[in-house]
Amino acid sequence: MGAFLELKEVHKAYFLHGKRIDVLRGVSLDIEKGELVSLVGASGSGKSTFLHVVGTLDAPAAGTMRYQGRSVFDMNDAELAEYRNRTIGFVFQSHYLLPEFTAAENVAMPALIQRQDRVMSLRRAKELLERVGLGARVEHRPGELSGGESQRVALARALMLAPSLLLADEPTGNLDPTTGEGIHQLLREVNRDLGLTAVVVTHNEVLAQSMPRRLRLLDGRVQAA
Amino acid sequence: MTSWRAPLLTVGGLLAAAGLGFIGYGLYRADTIAMAAGSTANFTVGWGVLLQSWFSAQWVLRFHDFRSAMAAVEHEGVRGVARGIPHVWGGLAVWFAGWAVIAAGIRRKPDEAEGPSAAVGAPLYPPLARFQDFHWGTLGAYCGGIFAAQLVLVFGYLASVKMLPQIGAFLLCLSAGGLIAFAGGFFGAANSKRLSTPEATIAVLYAGLPIPIFLTLLHQQPAMALLSIFDERELLAVRSLFHEVMFLSSLLGDNMPALGYWLVYGFLVLVLVLGINLGFVATSSGRVDLRLSYELFVASRHVSVFRPRLIGGVLITLLFIVVPPLLLYAIATAANAAVEMTRIQKLGLKDPLKAAAALNLLKAKRQGPTAMMTALSVGGVGVGVMALIIVLSVMSGFELDLQQKILGTNAHGVVMKYAGEAMPEYPEVMKKIGGVKGIVGQTPFILNEVMVATEGNIAGSMIKGIDPKTVGSVTDLPRYMQTGSLEGLTDPSKIVAPRLAPLNEPALDDAPTEKKKPELLRDPLIEEAPHDAPDSAKLPGLVLGKEMANSLRVTVGDRVNVVSPLGSELGPQGPMPKSRPFRVAGIFYSGMFEYDSKFVYISIDEAQSFFGLKGVNGVEVKVDDIDDTRRIMKAVRDVLDGYPYRTKDWGEMNANLFAALRLEKLVMGIILSIIIVVAAGLIVATVIMLVLEKRKEIAVLKALGVSDGGIVKIFLTEGLQIGIVGSVLGLISGLVWCLFIEKYGIKLDPQVYYIPALPVRIEPFQTALSVVIAVLISFLASIYPALKASQVEPVEGLKAE
Repeated sequence: MGAFLELKEVHKAYFLHGKRIDVLRGVSLDIEKGELVSLVGASGSGKSTFLHVVGTLDAPAAGTMRYQGRSVFDMNDAELAEYRNRTIGFVFQSHYLLPEFTAAENVAMPALIQRQDRVMSLRRAKELLERVGLGARVEHRPGELSGGESQRVALARALMLAPSLLLADEPTGNLDPTTGEGIHQLLREVNRDLGLTAVVVTHNEVLAQSMPRRLRLLDGRVQAA
Repeated sequence: MTSWRAPLLTVGGLLAAAGLGFIGYGLYRADTIAMAAGSTANFTVGWGVLLQSWFSAQWVLRFHDFRSAMAAVEHEGVRGVARGIPHVWGGLAVWFAGWAVIAAGIRRKPDEAEGPSAAVGAPLYPPLARFQDFHWGTLGAYCGGIFAAQLVLVFGYLASVKMLPQIGAFLLCLSAGGLIAFAGGFFGAANSKRLSTPEATIAVLYAGLPIPIFLTLLHQQPAMALLSIFDERELLAVRSLFHEVMFLSSLLGDNMPALGYWLVYGFLVLVLVLGINLGFVATSSGRVDLRLSYELFVASRHVSVFRPRLIGGVLITLLFIVVPPLLLYAIATAANAAVEMTRIQKLGLKDPLKAAAALNLLKAKRQGPTAMMTALSVGGVGVGVMALIIVLSVMSGFELDLQQKILGTNAHGVVMKYAGEAMPEYPEVMKKIGGVKGIVGQTPFILNEVMVATEGNIAGSMIKGIDPKTVGSVTDLPRYMQTGSLEGLTDPSKIVAPRLAPLNEPALDDAPTEKKKPELLRDPLIEEAPHDAPDSAKLPGLVLGKEMANSLRVTVGDRVNVVSPLGSELGPQGPMPKSRPFRVAGIFYSGMFEYDSKFVYISIDEAQSFFGLKGVNGVEVKVDDIDDTRRIMKAVRDVLDGYPYRTKDWGEMNANLFAALRLEKLVMGIILSIIIVVAAGLIVATVIMLVLEKRKEIAVLKALGVSDGGIVKIFLTEGLQIGIVGSVLGLISGLVWCLFIEKYGIKLDPQVYYIPALPVRIEPFQTALSVVIAVLISFLASIYPALKASQVEPVEGLKAE
C-alpha cells in the first residue's frame, strides 16, 4: 500500500498548429493524507492541467494514478463520476456556480447527484453556508452574489460531501487581497478541522509560503519549491 | 507534404469522377447502362452482394474467355457491346489513377522534426488502450434482434391466428417482435457501451431488410420461383401463408399489398433504435442506472417549460387558432411595457436610484432566445398533435357515419347458398341460425334487379322481398320510414294516401291520382298487366327510397309498375318482360344516397309469386357485436355444415369501401405526422441551443460527479418535457375542438355530402396513439443533442468564459 495519492510518469501534451507542447513530462508525486500542498509555477506551465488530470476532468496520454491503492485511470465512466463526486472537491478560479439554482441548491448539488434526499441535503447546505458566513444569502441566485460571496458558496459546495481531496485552482485569483485572505483562512480552517487533503494552485506567493508543503511545476515536472 | 494535401485530394477526386464519366459513357455506347446499374444496385443492398456474386460466378463458369462471353451477350440481344469497351477500360484506368492520387494525398509522413517524446515506455492511458473499434457481440445482438423479431412476428402470427382473432394475434406478435428488437438493441448497446452505428447499420441492412424485400418480391413476382427455391406447389402454399402475414395490408386495401409489411418493418427498426439508445444511456457509464432524480431537477430548471405563462399562452393559441392571440399578446406586451416605462420615468423624477432598481428588475424579467424557442417547440408539437387528433376524429366520424348507414339498411351478415340457389328450407335454416350465440335477429329475403316505371319515368332498382314482421330485428328499415309504413306491404288496405292538395292550387300540375288512369291506358307495359282493374286499393304494397320517389315523382298511394326483364311468359317474339303493378305503401330515407335511389321493398310472398320462386334467396342476420361479426358468421357456417351454405359479413360485402377509408386515414395520419416531425426539428434546434448555452454548466456538473449517462438523461428529459407538455396541450385543445365541432357543428352542403354536418368521433385508441407518437418522436429528436451534450469535455467547458 502506497501513499494516499500516488502519481507515476503522468504525461500530457497539447497540439497547437501541428506542434506538440509537452505540458506534463512524467509527473511523479506522492501526497499523504491530510497534507496541505501549494503548487506554484509560471503561467502556462501546466498547473491547471495537473489539477484537471488529478481530478479526472482531463485524460492524460500516459501514466498511472493511485488513490488509496486503487488505479484511478482504470475506472469506467460511472466509477470516475463517483470518484469526482465523493472523493474530490473542486474550487476554480471562477466560481462556476449554476445560474439557474439558488446558493443553497448549488451547495446541495453534489448530494443531489448522489441521489440523497433533497430536503436533508438542502438543510445541510444551509448549515455549510452559515459556516462560510453566508447564512443570509441562502435563497439568492449566483447573479445576485458578489465575487467573494460566490467563491465562498463554491467552497461550501466543494465541502458538501466531505471529500477527502480538495483541489483548488487559484481560488483567490479573481479577488482582492482582503477577500482572498478570508478564503485562505477558510481553507486552512477546513484542513485543520476536517483533516482533508488539499492541493492549492496559486500565484499568490504569500499564500504559497504559508502552506506546509510547497511544490513548483517547472518544465513539465514537479519539484519541491 | 501537408500543403499539397488539398490540391492532391481535389485533383484525385476530379480524376476519379472523370473516370466514372468515361465508364458511364462506355456503358451508354454499349447500351448496357441498365444492366450495369442493376448489378451495382444489387451489390449495395442487403444480401444482394451474395446474390450478385452468385450470378457473376455463374457467368464466369459458363464462359471461359472474354470473347465468348461477349458473343453470348450479343446473342442475347444486346447489340454493339464492343463499341463501349475501349471507353470502359480507359475510364477504369482514369478512375484508378484518380484514387491513387487521392491515396497519395491522404498519406501522411510522420513528423520527423519531433523526436521520440519523453513518454516512451510509460503505460498508455487505459481507456485508450482498451478502445475497440468494432464489437462483434453487438453486431450479433443487433442482427439477432431485428432478424428474430421479424421471424417471431411472421411465424408467431401464422401459429396464433388459428386460436385468436386476427387483430389480437397480430398485436400480440407485434409486441413480441417489438420486445425482441428492443432487447437486441438494448443488450447490444450495453455490450459495447456505445451506440455502435456501423453495427446497427449493418444489422438493419443485412439482417433486417432482406425479409421485407423477400416477402414483397414473393408477393409481386411469382417469377421469384425462377430462383428455384420453391417448386410451383410450394410457391402457392408460401403465397397463401404470405397473404395471412399481409393482414395489415389487407386493412389498407389491395392496391398496396407490401405497404403493411414495410410499416411493420419500419416500426421494428424504430424499436431497435429506441432499444439501442436506451441501452446506451443506461449502461454507457459502466452500470445500469435508469433513475431520474437530480436529472429531472436540472432539466426542468434549464427548459422551465412548466411556466403558467408558457402553458397558458400555447393553450390559448391552439384553442383560438394562431393569429388572434398572438396579436393580442403582442399588443398587451407592448402596452404593458409602455405603461411600466412611464411609471419608472415618474419614479425617476423623484428618486433616480429607485428608477434604476426598477429598470434592473424589468431587464431581469426579459427572457432569452432559448425560452422563446422552448415556447415555439411546445407550440409546434401542440399544433401537430391537435391537427392529428381533429383530422383523425373527423375521418373516424365519416367512417362511423358510413358504417351506420350501411348497417342500417344492410344486415350484419347474410346466409346464402352457392350459385344463388333458392332456399326453400329456410324455416329450418333460421331455426338453426337462431341457436348460434351472438345472433340477435334474422329475416329471410329475396333480392332481384328490376325496373320501376311510372308514366314517363323509369328507374333501375334492386327489389327486395322482405318479411315486414321480422325485418326490423335486422335492419333499421322501419325506423327509416318517412311516410307510410311497412304494414302496407302485406295489407294493401292499410295504405293511406295523403290528402291531396286543394284543387284551387294549380301549381301541382302533376298531382298523380288525377292523371293516372288516362296515361295508364297509353302505357304498353301496363296494358299487359294482369291487374289492370281500376280497383287499385287491392294492389300489393311497395316501399321505395326518397330519392327514387322524387325521380319517379310518386308518393304514398300512387301506382307504379315493376318490370322484371327475366320474364317466364313467352310472347310472339320470345320471352316477354314480366310486369306487375304495385301501390306505394311508404317512402324511406336512410341518408345513404346509394340506397335511397336504388332500393325497393315488397313483401316476401309477392316476391315469391312475382319471380316464381319457391323459398327465399337467403337469410339476413343481425349480431350483438359488429366487431365480432366474422367469428359469429363462421359459427353460423359451422352450424349449417358449410356447403351448400355460405355466409358473408358486412365487412366483406363492403370490403373495398372500408379498405379505401382506412388507407385514406393512414395516409392522412402519416402526412399530419410530418407536422410533428417538423416540430421535432424545432426540439432538436432548441436542445442544441440549450447545449451550447450550457456548455459551462455541463462541465461543472461533470466536475461535481455527473456521469456522461447522467448528462444524456438531463438533456433527454429536457426534450421529453417539451414533447410531453406540447402533446398534452395539443391533446386538450384537440379534444376541445372536436367537442366544439360535435356540439355546434360545421355545416356541410347536404346536396354534396348527403350528411348535414361534419361528423366527429373521438376514438380513444387513435387519440392516445397520436400522443404517444408525438412523445416518442420528441424523445428520438432529443437523442442527438443529448449525446452531443455528454461529449462536452469538462476542460473545454471550463475554459469557455
